[in-house]
This record gives sequence, structure tokens and C-alpha cells, in this order.
Amino acid sequence: MVTAYAPLNVFDVLRGDRRSRPSADHTIADGLRAILADGIYDILGPQRPDPSIVVRAATLRQPPRTVDLSQSPLGRIRGVLVNQLLRLLCVGADVVDPFDDAVSAWRFDVGTNELVVAFDRLDADDRARLNAEVRAHFSSLEGALGTIRAHWMPRSAVRATQRLADGAVELRDVVDLVVGAPSRDVAATALLDVTTAPLGHGDERTIRYHALVHTLRTSTMPLRTSALSTATNEFWTRDVDFALLARSVDDVLAVVDDLWRAR
Amino acid sequence: MTTLIHRRLGATTINELIDASPSPSVLTDDHRHSLSGRFRAVSIESHRRLDAWSVERAGRVAESFRWSPVTARRLLGNGALIRRHDDRTSITDAVADEIADQLLRATSGHARTGSLASWLASAHPTHVAIVTAESVNWATQLHDVAIEIDAPWRISSADAFVDVAGARTSLRARRDIEVRRGDDRVILRIRGGAPGKSAGPGLRTDLVIDTLADPAGLAPARYIGLWPDAGLCLAVDGTMEDLRAGARDLVRTAVAQRRARLAQAA
Repeated sequence: MVTAYAPLNVFDVLRGDRRSRPSADHTIADGLRAILADGIYDILGPQRPDPSIVVRAATLRQPPRTVDLSQSPLGRIRGVLVNQLLRLLCVGADVVDPFDDAVSAWRFDVGTNELVVAFDRLDADDRARLNAEVRAHFSSLEGALGTIRAHWMPRSAVRATQRLADGAVELRDVVDLVVGAPSRDVAATALLDVTTAPLGHGDERTIRYHALVHTLRTSTMPLRTSALSTATNEFWTRDVDFALLARSVDDVLAVVDDLWRAR
Repeated sequence: MTTLIHRRLGATTINELIDASPSPSVLTDDHRHSLSGRFRAVSIESHRRLDAWSVERAGRVAESFRWSPVTARRLLGNGALIRRHDDRTSITDAVADEIADQLLRATSGHARTGSLASWLASAHPTHVAIVTAESVNWATQLHDVAIEIDAPWRISSADAFVDVAGARTSLRARRDIEVRRGDDRVILRIRGGAPGKSAGPGLRTDLVIDTLADPAGLAPARYIGLWPDAGLCLAVDGTMEDLRAGARDLVRTAVAQRRARLAQAA
């Protein structure tokens, strides 16, 4: 694990030294899927949950039956707004007013949902606090990312869905930022999770989960997976290897077990 | 018997599916007349449009169309890749050029009301940036698929459209990449999300419409549907059985739509 603090440029670490990239592994996904299917059968047996058990990055970040203050409505809204700003930075848009632009982009992107309704119900004090927080987080984000060059092929809010064990379990994921083009020869894709909370154990599980779902989706192992906290400017990055993916398989199976017992 | 091939989306899968595609069938004028007759038999007061999505929804009336980042991304993303002649232009820049071209159409008065160009022209710059981000995601995944294809390919410049004479019916098939395999063609179509239970009939619908749009009635050797979000691909062959099944589904959907409209009117 590499831990760094800004002002080190995040992209320098994500891309690393191009000459020392490992060979692309196109064979590992089938093995991981088989291990997951066996593990799920051990937990569920021949039963078929209806509806299926859905695992998300948020499920791994926060263990079931625990309370995390960063997951309060205000914390979640702040996270969503900072992610919208990341999307704007990815395409080189001029951000004139971080708060107003983020809110405008968010409303346009999602329309109406539970969180938008919660945002509309905020009183003037909460809204002013959120405005100040979003500006501060945006400043950290902009400083840490620097210029995002178009030829790195940045993609924001990249979604993935994986059905396992005949649909008994569904893995869903959204990676905040993916850079690098897939290659037949070398691992070249890097994943970045941006959070507005300080980094913790949950974020380790999250970045492993991003790597696992990306590997299952594309059948190719990514180069590295990372997390950036705009609250503390901490930046964690891990090179992806079988050990990391195997730990994520264990994380997922533990969550499936918890969710199944809770039903 | 109809075909439905199911594979994990991997580096070699698409080439294997293209290489192993069978010889395609040909629809004759008799087939066309027969299908037109069936559509004419399902009378309707207004014009109807049928595509794979309406077949997958079993003719249920869809919400009225409106532009959004998700509905705009395919048009802009595909246009950007057609525009991008070489690897020196980044996908983000190509998408930005495509959007600039749309805006130019709107400002020069060449855009119809309700078109993508007029919608973009009236959008806030922040909203245009979100549309750009979605379109870049779409174009990048299309690019990632295309560069793995060994055979000659091109991004489709337009979907396949067929107007059924005398039946007030137009048919549309989505196509994103056309691959040439000698005299035959293989079509790739990309979708977001994960395939549902009716994905196979949807692909057969696209297959038959693309065949009807071909002047010689030559079917694509294979129609491949890709779901990159789920890492899956499904394929149907251009056989007569699959074409017949696709045509039957279209007529059934027309009947279901007519019943739904009659029920609404009553």
C-alpha cells in the first residue's frame, strides 16, 4: 500500500512508470467467479433468494448494523456533489461556482430521488455549511488531481453489474474515475475512488471491491486501484494482484453471509 | 430452431463469434410482401414505430421520449468515433468536437425543434459537460470493443430504418459497429446495464429489421449484442428461423400495441 499526501499529483502515482507495468492477465476472472460461486453455495445452499442479494461498495464500506456519520444525508449529499465536480473536471469543464455547478449538474443528471428531496428540505444554515464544505473539498480535489489529460482516457461514474450463482447474488458498482486504455499486452487501467470522509478500513475494502468487479466485468485485471480523501488529502493506492482480489472475494462472501442471515 | 449464444465479454470472444458466424439467409420479395400484409392487417389510426425495445417491452406503451445524458450519449459517442480519424485525437476532444458541431447546427438554424442540437443549444454549460462525460464513457467502451476486432470494421453512421408500405409502420434497428467478413457482414450493438430475459427476441428484431433494410435482403451473418456494464454478450445468427422468429415478434408487438391503445381509448 502506498500512502501519500497532496500535493503529490494523483495521476503520477496512478499511471506510474509505463515501462514497469505487469503483463495483462486475461485469465483470472473465470477462477474468481468459480471461487465466488462455490462460496455463495456454501452460504445459501440450494436456496435461491428472492429478490437476489445485492452487494454494493457502500455495503462493504460500512458493515451491516453499524452507524457511520459520513453516511448521514448531509454527508451523502456532499459526496454526490463532489463526485459531480469530478465529472466536470474529467471533461475539462470550467467550474465557475463549485457549489452551484455541482447542484445544477446533479439535478440534471439524476432528476429527482430521495437525496434530492432531502437536499431541497435543508434549511439555510445547513445549505450554507454544505456550500462551504463543497468548496473546500473541491479545492482539495482540484489540487490533488491537477490537469486531467484527455489522452489518459478518463471515464467518470463507470457502472458495472455482475450476476453470480445464477443470479442469487448481484454485485453492483460505480467507480468514480477510470483512466487508461485496456491493452492486450500490459495492465494499464487504474481505478480511483474519491471520498469526502477520512480514509479507513472500509475504503480498503472498497478499492479491493472496485478491482474485483472491474476484473469480473472486463475479464482483465486492472493495474492499480486507489482512494483519495478530499477531507484529509490522503491518497491510498494498491497494485492489483491475485492476493488483493482473493481478499475482496472473502470480503464479498462475508457480506453475503451477513445479508443472508439478516433476512 | 432459433439460436441464442451467450458468452462472457473478453478480449478474444468477439473475434471468435465473428469468425464462427454461419452463412446468412436472404429475404426475398415474397417474404417482404408477406410481412407487409401482416402489418397492414393490424390497423392503426396513427403512425407506429417498432424497434427491439418495444418488442422487449411486449408492446407496452413507453414514456414519451426526452433528451437526457443517457439518451444523448449514443448519438454523440458514435458520432465522435466516426469523426476521430486517428489515435492522436483523444476521445474527449472528439466528443467535444461532435457537440460543437451540433451547437453550430442549432445556431445556423439547421436544427429542428426537439432535436439533439436544439436541446444542447438550450442547455446550461454545466449540463453540456455532464452530457460530454456520459458520451465519453459510451465512446470509450465502444472504442475498447472495436480495437479488439481483427476483421475490417467501421462505426455505423446510422441505424437501419424500414418503412412498411401501406401499414403506417416504421421499423428501426440499432447498430453500432459493422464488421465485414468477405461479402457478409456482422453487426454489433451495445447496450447499457445487463441483458434481461427478452434480450434474445430484441436481438432477433434488430436482425430482421437490418435484413429488411438491406436492398438485396441479405441478413447479417450474426447480430451480436454487447452489455459492457455486465461483461456479457449475446448473439443470434442470420438464419431463416431467427428471421422468422424476429418477424413474428414484431407482428405480435404491433398487435399488443393496438390492443393497449384500444384499451386506453375505452
